[in-house]
Amino acid sequence: MRLLLVGISHKTAPIEVRERVDFQARGVELALRTLASRRPGGNGAEIAVLSTCNRAELYMACDDVAAAKSELVSFVSTFHDVDPSAIEPHVYDVTDLDAARHLFRVAAGLDSLVVGEPQILGQVKEAHSAARQAETAGPLLNRLFHSCFAVGKRVRTETNLGSGAVSVSYAAVSLARKIFGNLEGRSVVVLGAGEMGKLTAQHMKSQGVKQVTIVSRTIAHAARTAEAIGGAIAARWEDMDAALAASDIVITATGAATPILTKARIESVMRPRRGRQLFIIDIAVPRDVEAAAGEIEQVFLYNIDDLQASVRENLARRTSEVERAEAIVDEELGKFGTWLRSRGVIPTVVALRQSFESIRRAELDRLDFKLSGLPPDARDEARARVDEITHLLVEKLLLMPTAQLKGLADPELATMYAEAITRVFGLEDAEQKTDTRVEPFRAKSRPSGRQR
Amino acid sequence: MNLVPLALYAAAFLAYAWHFARRTPALGRTATTILAAAALAHTFIIGMRTMEVGQVPVFDATSAISMFVWLLAVAYLYTEVTTDERAMGVFILTLILALQAIPAFKTDVDVRSSVLRGPVFGVHVSSLLFAYASFALAFVIGITYVLLFKEIKTKHLGVFFARLPSLQVLDQMNQRAIVVGWVFLTIGLVAGGVFAIQAPAPAMTLEDPKIFVALVCWAVYSFELFAARRIGWAGKRTAYLSALGFAIVLLNFLPISYFLTHSHSF
Repeated sequence: MRLLLVGISHKTAPIEVRERVDFQARGVELALRTLASRRPGGNGAEIAVLSTCNRAELYMACDDVAAAKSELVSFVSTFHDVDPSAIEPHVYDVTDLDAARHLFRVAAGLDSLVVGEPQILGQVKEAHSAARQAETAGPLLNRLFHSCFAVGKRVRTETNLGSGAVSVSYAAVSLARKIFGNLEGRSVVVLGAGEMGKLTAQHMKSQGVKQVTIVSRTIAHAARTAEAIGGAIAARWEDMDAALAASDIVITATGAATPILTKARIESVMRPRRGRQLFIIDIAVPRDVEAAAGEIEQVFLYNIDDLQASVRENLARRTSEVERAEAIVDEELGKFGTWLRSRGVIPTVVALRQSFESIRRAELDRLDFKLSGLPPDARDEARARVDEITHLLVEKLLLMPTAQLKGLADPELATMYAEAITRVFGLEDAEQKTDTRVEPFRAKSRPSGRQR
Repeated sequence: MNLVPLALYAAAFLAYAWHFARRTPALGRTATTILAAAALAHTFIIGMRTMEVGQVPVFDATSAISMFVWLLAVAYLYTEVTTDERAMGVFILTLILALQAIPAFKTDVDVRSSVLRGPVFGVHVSSLLFAYASFALAFVIGITYVLLFKEIKTKHLGVFFARLPSLQVLDQMNQRAIVVGWVFLTIGLVAGGVFAIQAPAPAMTLEDPKIFVALVCWAVYSFELFAARRIGWAGKRTAYLSALGFAIVLLNFLPISYFLTHSHSF
C-alpha cells in the first residue's frame, strides 16, 4: 500500500480557487463519507481530508496511486461543483515519503503562509480525528498522522519557529501582556473612531480586557464604533483626561495633524495614578503622541514603526529557525520511513513463520503416532516436552532472520531479500493465505497477495 | 563536606543557564531536578552537623551562610514549583554559588560559648536567616524586573522579553518576598532584643555594627513597604530599593560578620 497526497494550497492557487474548494464550507465529514462510498483507490484504502483557509489536501493510502489520483481530482470537482479545468492547473500530487514529508512540514508550520503559525497543528489534528470518526483512517494514516503530531510538537518545543508576534496588532497585545500580565480587568481607551483603532480595540477585547472606551471629537462616531466593537462605551472629547487617568492601555488613531497627547498632558494624567503603568500604542500617522512622552518613567510608548520593527525582527528570527525545524522533519521522516519499509517485509516474515510452524505441527503429529505405544501419562509428558523444545527451536531459528528483514533500510534490498526468502523456503503458496495490505516494496515477480 | 552541594549547585547553574539560552522544557526539568538533588544533599549535610553539635548549626558565620544558602535554594524551589517560572533560576543560582563557595572552602568552625543557646536564640537566628533568604529572592526578582523594564522601555525586545514573566508578575513576586522578609526580620530583631536582655553578653548594643546595620536594613525595607503602599512607588523604584536592601544584608553577612563585630560573628 502506498501513500498519496492530492492538494491545493496558497502556494499553488490564488484565493479565488482556494475558496471554491473549501471543504469546511460543506463539511469534512460529508466529504469523507462521500469519498468512502466512491471508493477511490479500491477497497481497504484509507483517506483523510485536511482543510484550512490556506489549503485543501486529501491524504490517501491505497494500492493504485495513478488511478486514485485522477479519481480524487474528479471527486473534488464534483463535490464542490467546480469545472475540473479550473482546479487541475493548481493541483499538486506527491506520493509515499514525499507525501509524508509534506504533511510533516505542514504540521510543523513550515508550509504555512506565515511560517510557524500555531493554528495549523490543531487543524491537522482535527483532520485526523474526523477521518477516525468517519472510519476512513487505517493503520497507515494513523501512523502517518501520529508521526506528524510528533513533528509539530517537537518543532514547537525545540525551536523558536513559532515565537514572537508577526502582526502589528498581535505585537501590541503581546507587549501589553508582558507589561500587565493577564489583560483581564484592564481598561483600554481608544482615541479616534477610525477603522485602525477599532481593529486594535477588537483584538484587545478578544483578549478579555474589562472595558474599552472610545473617545472621539464627534460623540456620535464614538458611539457607533463602540457599538460595532460590542460592549464598549463612548466618551466625549472633553472627558479624555479622566478616561486616560482610569486606563491601562491607550490606543491613539486619530487623523490629527499635530500631537494630541503632549508630554505635559500625560504627566498631569500620570500624577494621580501613583505609579500605575500606562502603555500607549500610537498607530496614527502623523503621530498623535509626542515622542518625549516616552521619557515619563511609568509610560511605555510604542508607535506604528516600533511595532512593525518588532514584527520584522520576529519574522527574521523565525526564518533563522527554519533550518532546525527542517532537521526535525528529516529525523522524524527517517523513523517513519523505517516503519513503512518494515511493513513491506511483514508478509514475508509472516509467511516464513507460518511455514516453519506448519512443519513443526506436521512433525508433532507424526510423533503422536510413534508415541502411541507408551502409557498415557508418559505419552503426554513426552509430547509436552517435544512441543516445548521444538517451539523454542523454531523461535530461535527465526529470531535473526526476522530482525534482519525488519531492519533493512534500503527498499530495493528489502525486496531482494524478501524475494530470495520466498523462493528459498518456497513460501509462494503460504503467502496466498496472508494479509499483504502493506507494500510499497512487493516483489515485482512475486504473485501479489490477496487484497483486503 | 559542603563541596558536594557546591558541585551540585554548579551543575544546576549550568543547567539553568543552558535552559535560559535554549528554552526547552526538558532542560528546565533537568535543571530543577539537579537543584532539588543539591538541596537534598545540602539538607543531609546540615542534618549531620545538627546531630554532631546538638543544635541547628547557625552559631558561626560560615555555617550560617550555609544555612542561608539552603534556605534560599528551598525558597526558590518553592517559588518555581508554584509559579512554573524557571527563567530566574540562573540568577538565583549565581548568588547561591557565590555564597556556597564560602562554607565549601572555609572549614574551620569556632566553638561557641554556652550563652548562645535556647529557644529565643534559635528564633532570632532562624528568623533572620529566613528574612535574608527572602530578601535575596526579592533582590534577584528586582534585577530581572529592571532588565525587562529596560528592554520594553527602550524598545529593544530581546532575551528577557522572550523569557521572563510579565512586569506585573515580577513586581508582585518582589513585593511578596519583601513582605515575608520584613515580617521575619522584625520577629528576628525582636527576638534578638529579648535574648540580649535575658542573657546579657558583652557589647550587644547599637555600637555593634551588626546590630546597627540590621536596624538600617529594617528601616530600608520598612520604607520600601511604606513607599509601595502609600506613595505609590512601584516597579523600578521598589526593585532598586530591594537591591539596596540586599546589598546591606550582604554587607552585614560577609565583611561585618568576619571582621568587625564584637558580639555577633554570624
